[in-house]
Amino acid sequence: MGAALGEPLVIALLAKWLTVSYILCGLFAWWRRPDSRFGPLMVAAGFANFISTLSWTTSDVTFTLGQAFDLLPPVLFMHVFLAFPSGHLRDRFERVLVASAYGAAIVLQVTRMTFGFFGPHNLLEITANEDAALLTLRVSLLTMSAFCLAAVGVLVLRRRRRGMLRRSRVLVVDAFALGLVMIACLYVFAAFDWPAVREIRWATFATLSLAPLVFLAALLKARLARSAVGDLVLELRSEPAPDDLRDSLARALGDPSLQLAYWLPDYECYADRLGQLVELEDLDGRATTLIDRGGEHVAALIHDPALEDEPELLDSVRAAAGIALENGRLHAELRARLEELRGSRARIVEAAQNERQLLERNLHDGAQQRLIALSLNLSLLRGRIDGDPEIKAAIDQARREIAASLNELREIARGIHPAVVSGHGLAVALEQLAARAPVRAELRVEIDGRLPEPLEVAAYYVVSESLANVAKHAQATTARIDVLKEHDELVLEIVDDGIGGADSERGSGLRGLADRVEALNGRLRVWTPRGGGTRVKAEIPCA
Amino acid sequence: MRVAIAEDSVLLREGVARLLDEGGFDVVAQCENADDLMAKVRSFPPDVVIMDIRLPPTHNDEGLRAALELRASHPSVGVLVLSQYVEVGLALKLLADSAEGVGYLLKDRVSDVNDFVAAVRRVGEGGSALDPVIVSTLLARQRPDDPIAQLTPREREVLELMASGSSNQGIAESLVITVRAVEKYVSSIFSKLGLPSTGSESRRVLAVLLYLRS
Repeated sequence: MGAALGEPLVIALLAKWLTVSYILCGLFAWWRRPDSRFGPLMVAAGFANFISTLSWTTSDVTFTLGQAFDLLPPVLFMHVFLAFPSGHLRDRFERVLVASAYGAAIVLQVTRMTFGFFGPHNLLEITANEDAALLTLRVSLLTMSAFCLAAVGVLVLRRRRRGMLRRSRVLVVDAFALGLVMIACLYVFAAFDWPAVREIRWATFATLSLAPLVFLAALLKARLARSAVGDLVLELRSEPAPDDLRDSLARALGDPSLQLAYWLPDYECYADRLGQLVELEDLDGRATTLIDRGGEHVAALIHDPALEDEPELLDSVRAAAGIALENGRLHAELRARLEELRGSRARIVEAAQNERQLLERNLHDGAQQRLIALSLNLSLLRGRIDGDPEIKAAIDQARREIAASLNELREIARGIHPAVVSGHGLAVALEQLAARAPVRAELRVEIDGRLPEPLEVAAYYVVSESLANVAKHAQATTARIDVLKEHDELVLEIVDDGIGGADSERGSGLRGLADRVEALNGRLRVWTPRGGGTRVKAEIPCA
Repeated sequence: MRVAIAEDSVLLREGVARLLDEGGFDVVAQCENADDLMAKVRSFPPDVVIMDIRLPPTHNDEGLRAALELRASHPSVGVLVLSQYVEVGLALKLLADSAEGVGYLLKDRVSDVNDFVAAVRRVGEGGSALDPVIVSTLLARQRPDDPIAQLTPREREVLELMASGSSNQGIAESLVITVRAVEKYVSSIFSKLGLPSTGSESRRVLAVLLYLRS
């Protein structure tokens, strides 16, 4: 390697600076976050760098020690960068990568030293073999640069997989990756003795010493983030209070991916503000902070793990949002109860529906079929009787009775469950209602295909009950029935030109309709001004 | 005339088969479900198919779908659909394109043996049969300045029979009048309702049905 005059001085200064900056930053991080292993790791990297500079001494022992550790600092940098921010490596692959890099760094360097060409202070020299020395030099430099590039790959993947990293953290990771790329570059150039090795070496040292500064800046920014807590306090005091506390907290914590879950003691689970269950287990790569008050759970924050490096920020946000969180929790609990109630109402309506459907089906397959077959057999029997008009008359009478029973059964079955709706859909079934309407009925149906059955059945009852009311009370001459889909809602409107003023007394049927419609998350409204006709409108969601 | 029957109630299926057999029909297939019926029609098309509108497995719309499919794929096979409820909407679906070779009757009608046999024969010959309940429901429907009200009682009777699919000959026999008299009533009805007169007897079924529905 060509060494120009003055280079040792520059490199010595940069190396000292590198050692000092890592140790100081490491100590600072250690002090700020005593629980994190990241600080100690940085200090270790600084010391490793210091030990490798011992090779510049002239004592046999320190020289040999320094040379043997020469390849170790890059591995420590790599370890530090990969372990950011918790100080722990994330998975088995990373642990194997770092461990083998440590192994390779020592073994390759020591092997190379046995072949000599390290000057007079090398205690490990066994033989002086120039070819072997050069070969092991190249192998060890290329191996180390391969390790560095693998670590860069891990960092890049990590950044891409986690799209919502906080900005300051992205910058730190970028600085780390750049440092590793520079080391890899330097080693490749050095291995083949390409030109400009000296400049690349300076640049590499400069880049590496930049990383702790960026890290320090990110740490300090965490302190600055506390001013965001002040904004949060103001925001929470404002009238009206923010609709979704999550947004305010996400802003204050600088984590757009933040999820907020409230504790529902009666259900012993966490739920979002709409009362939907939130699982705290199996959160891939997410961290959870539980917020308790007076020994009771209140809420949980599900956030970017990087926030765990800023416990002060989390603490102050937690303190500022205390009462608001308690309010949010009560709100979520209310929503959960409403949701539960709505679910049970829908289940009751559905169960009743299923019962009725079954009843209708049994009537259809049983009594009705048998009566028709009976009547048919009587007819065939009658055809075989010669003479005896009395018997013939008796058979005819019996058949008339059967026909009357069948008509009655048919009406009963229709009242129990409108089979045509289940079988052929709302549009087909409404034709019959309009045709049998007691007043002139204009029917307009603008829906394509079928809708979920409970919805069709409810809609059918809304129309049929409304038309029945028109017949009973409205003294109307015409009615208009409109059925259409609007913004994922089925909208039904039945308007008559009668006397209006429908009181709620007559509407026990209307109450039943409202129950049906509301069980499906819809709503039923009735306008009935005296003398101004009656308008019934039902809107049922059908996404 | 060859007949195929699709009906899942054994009691009824056998009863209908017996009555048609006695009525001089050749019952070539008895099926429990729509798939079976379709397969048998494909391999050996009968003149007319009599089928329940509610067939297994779900008893929802298999019967109607099979009927519509048959109408499209085998226009020469008459399709007579039986149902325990006759509804205007279903009649409109069945007769959507034409009333030729199609019938839709309340299931109870099978026990009026003579009328039923006549209806089966009519549908098998390319005519139509629409249940009187449908016709009377539509006739009773409220209309503004109802032209139906301008019909004489006799004309109304003729209209009902005509809408049910009866031929002029059939109407003449039912009302015990001459075919010429029927023809006179028919043209009077068409002019009172403002309908263009159509030649074929099944085409006028559809015309009257659509008129009454609107």
